[in-house]
Amino acid sequence: MISVLRNIIVLLLLLVFPNLIEAQTKHTLSGYVKDAATGEFLPGANVYLKEIMQGTSTNSYGFYSLTVPSGNYTLGVSFMGYTEYSAPVKLTSDLRFNVTLQPKVIETKVVEITEKRIENNIKSTDMGRVELSMDKMKKLPAFFGEVDLVKIVQLLPGVKNAGEGNTGLYVRGGGPDQNLVLLDEAVVYNAAHLLGFFSVFNSDAVKTVDLHKGGMPAQYGGRLASVLDISMKEGNSQKYKVDGGIGVIASRLTVQGPIKKDTASFIISARRTYIDAVTKPFIKSTSPTKGSGYYFYDLNTKINYRISDKDRLFLSGYFGRDVFEFKSTKSNFNIRIPWGNAMISSRWNHLFSNKLFCNTSLIFSDYHFESNISQTAFNIKFASGVRDYNAKLDFTWYPTIRHTVKFGANYIFHRFSPNNTSGDIAGEELNFGPKVYVFAHEAALYAGDDFDITDKLRVHGGLRASWFAQVGPYTQYIKNEKDQKVDSVKYAAGDLIKQYPNVEPRLMMRYTVNKNASIKASFTQNYQYIHITSLANQSLPTDLWFPSTARVKPQFGTQYSLGYYQNFKENTWETSIETYYKTMKNQIEFKDGTLPSSGVGDNLDNYLTFGSGEAYGTEFFVKKALGKTSGWVGYTLSWTKRTFPELNDGKTYFARYDRRHDLSVVISHELTSKWIFSAVFVYASGNLLWLPTSVYFFEGKPVVNYGERNNYRMPAYHRLDLSATYTPVTTKKVKSSWNFSIYNVYSRLNPYFIYVETTGSPLTGDLKNSAKKVSLFPIIPTVTYNFSF
Amino acid sequence: MKSMYRFLVAVLLVSFFTSCEREIEIELPNAENLLVVEGSIETGQAPVVLVTRNRGFFKDFPTDLESFINEFVIQDALVVVSDGAVNDTLIFTVNILAYPYVYYTSTNMVGEVGKTYSLTIVADGKTIRSHTTIPPAVSIDSTWFGLNPFDSSEDSLGVAYLQMQDPDSMGNAYRLFAKKYSEFSFNQVAGSEFNDDYVNGQKVIFFAGQGEKPFVSSDTFIPKEYFYNLGDTVILKFCSIGAKELKFFYTMDAALNSNGNPFAAPTLVKSNIEGGLGVWCGYSPAFDTLIAIK
Repeated sequence: MISVLRNIIVLLLLLVFPNLIEAQTKHTLSGYVKDAATGEFLPGANVYLKEIMQGTSTNSYGFYSLTVPSGNYTLGVSFMGYTEYSAPVKLTSDLRFNVTLQPKVIETKVVEITEKRIENNIKSTDMGRVELSMDKMKKLPAFFGEVDLVKIVQLLPGVKNAGEGNTGLYVRGGGPDQNLVLLDEAVVYNAAHLLGFFSVFNSDAVKTVDLHKGGMPAQYGGRLASVLDISMKEGNSQKYKVDGGIGVIASRLTVQGPIKKDTASFIISARRTYIDAVTKPFIKSTSPTKGSGYYFYDLNTKINYRISDKDRLFLSGYFGRDVFEFKSTKSNFNIRIPWGNAMISSRWNHLFSNKLFCNTSLIFSDYHFESNISQTAFNIKFASGVRDYNAKLDFTWYPTIRHTVKFGANYIFHRFSPNNTSGDIAGEELNFGPKVYVFAHEAALYAGDDFDITDKLRVHGGLRASWFAQVGPYTQYIKNEKDQKVDSVKYAAGDLIKQYPNVEPRLMMRYTVNKNASIKASFTQNYQYIHITSLANQSLPTDLWFPSTARVKPQFGTQYSLGYYQNFKENTWETSIETYYKTMKNQIEFKDGTLPSSGVGDNLDNYLTFGSGEAYGTEFFVKKALGKTSGWVGYTLSWTKRTFPELNDGKTYFARYDRRHDLSVVISHELTSKWIFSAVFVYASGNLLWLPTSVYFFEGKPVVNYGERNNYRMPAYHRLDLSATYTPVTTKKVKSSWNFSIYNVYSRLNPYFIYVETTGSPLTGDLKNSAKKVSLFPIIPTVTYNFSF
Repeated sequence: MKSMYRFLVAVLLVSFFTSCEREIEIELPNAENLLVVEGSIETGQAPVVLVTRNRGFFKDFPTDLESFINEFVIQDALVVVSDGAVNDTLIFTVNILAYPYVYYTSTNMVGEVGKTYSLTIVADGKTIRSHTTIPPAVSIDSTWFGLNPFDSSEDSLGVAYLQMQDPDSMGNAYRLFAKKYSEFSFNQVAGSEFNDDYVNGQKVIFFAGQGEKPFVSSDTFIPKEYFYNLGDTVILKFCSIGAKELKFFYTMDAALNSNGNPFAAPTLVKSNIEGGLGVWCGYSPAFDTLIAIK
């Protein structure tokens, strides 16, 4: 017994102080990996020593560190789309060694997507993790001239969209609020423009996209389903560069370059749609709806400054707005709805030593939605949103070559405005009750270690301690069983109303079966303290974010997954099967009978009801990464259920985005160095809708009555897109390419939504109930001209 | 609002040059057969209970009024109202002059303030129950006529205003009806259902047009049918009701408004009938009459 205990203590000591076993003299080889042409740092590049076939990958800022016994080594660095780097290294003392990788002159692979690095999909512990390199995506079929990164993410197994016109990702049975979307570490609360037709991410400004849908490492938290971590480009530190694209409904322009060569650089990227301008000539000046329209724009900027080899500063900003306006001169009716995100992220990288990397971030982010309605002398405004002040401290520590330890802390101050209404009639203010804000603190401490226990077994063990507290000022309304406000409790500024401390374990394992195959398993638990729920059948920008409160407990998710990975023909073909089972507690829906106006002047949580969720499925993935023809096939078979005691008579029902089958096929073929062809095919079971099953009359009016929840499955969604990209060979300074795309080649009329309507009257004998299907996009050819100089 | 949603859809569609909206056939699970109650008991008045059925959503409606009534209205139900002391079985009655035309009523029971009335209905092999209380009436302070507030050029059409003082206690709920002197029945004023959550103890002003006439489609807005004309004599009936009953009217109004709106939430109407649909509501009215003059 004592010997067992002693062994455990020794093991623990070794885990905590891995240096104890290092009797031999060791030295650290560390540095940054960057792109030779642009000077951009490359996150996720493989760095290894060929003699011992061990290594690591660069962190999100392109830094690596390897601590090994002194000796002569060959350092290898590889990254998708770049020529492999190799150099002899004589390690007799600690050595700083920065590596620049040359982009491959002829890009043979159009679709560069990797289930975590081409050679490493077998080796890493990451499960359900996908990295995308944005620059390489642009030859896929474009939708109105835009290759959208969220649209590409949705082609991966386990990730679903809810069809055209729906915002949000649905990952492994999770809801659209269960994804942590980060842009340069700032949380993006609404990732969609134009009701989801475009994401807010301008692909010209994005460097990498990193999706975690399975085991979420300990450095991420606060959401149950996934992390979509997006890094903006830093700006070319070598030379000035202009990129742009002219499309049918939107254009974009990016300017980047050095402020001081190799020291400081900037990027600024802007985009705007001109649907409003395109449609204006078709609206008569006498039209009663003149002046109505829609547009969106967004702006990304980033500056970075290298103070020294050890210190580096980044400042990134994003601002985007969608604006919808409707004017009717006939009824003196005006509505203007602007909404969008704004964020500023400032970061400081510091190297404490060649083994300890630190990043400090200060972040502001804001999502705002507003609806201004006016009719003659009557004005009303609804406003909602969320605002965060966020501070983060993240360390990466490389104690030995077998360990990569990440630890850190995070604090966010949230201000939610769930639904504030104000208005007036002829200047006289209307009383909608006081403005309601909800304030909360969110904090976390985490540590996680990637540990090569043996050459075959690698483990990521992590722990995240999270804490959430709702604080005043706040007025809590107490209601009786008749739903009448009977009392209220007032909390002063800073008063603690409710707090939730929690611990979230994360465990991921990989066992290498042989050079080409591995088995991975993961177990993760997550808490989520902020939520969205939606009244409508679609997800809309009106959907409100609100926090955990005394009545709303945090969502709690547990995910188990198991996967088998096998590569064939020298990693030309990669395949994987992953299966998952998830449980979700404290899921949130509105109570039956809640109206869009219900939260006004009240606590929104008085209208919520709570239940649980269950999701399971299997994802199949086959990818051909190399050669003139590349691409992938992803298929997911899945189930997603919800059980709420107060909804659907307590019976379990399928969630709105329950999807039995989901298939994506992406193929591209390089015919010549000038012509690349690609195709995308998607097939997905239809979404569930909740439609009325009967009608009755009350006071002479037809009233609809609903049956079981989500009682109708829409027709399946399927679509084929084709594209050809022509890149003329030129010696001129201006490089250009033409992308010809055909969206929805066989013009399938996929439903955008289905709704029901009653028309007529029994008095006139023409009373009728009917269902209408609205489809948006038949076959649409587009041409986009992209240029850079 | 409906037209705005249509426009939003149209913008999306026109924006992308092309689109398609078409009627489709939908197979829905069979609906449960339910009894629907439209029942009221008012201070000093006999109970009035209309019992109807619901119907499959996409089933064609009868085109003539007679088969329409036969299909929806239950004429052989057992309808019993009890005030705790007396059980009264209501009698099926036809009155072609006043809404609801075909209903169950009593000749020996009238509503009294403060009393709770339970309702039991047996029909189509089902038994449904409810109860309601007649709250104390809240008096009307004053009423007056004003020209259409939304159109400054209007010089003959207008609305009736009503001012009342909400009592100091929380939890009062109201519903307003109106009719022209020449009409037989009061019409419900759409959107008038209201509680004192934000205005407890304050003076509140309501306004009313002609109200919603039964079976008239509200697809198109006709000013002459909505507003009063100068010279009209208007009777306002301002009723106090209970909180559960308010919730029913509130959600029903929302359900009517969201019909045909593709972005609207499925609105569930909160009935106070156990095992059925509709409402059994105690009304405590206050009346006032005004003449539409400038």
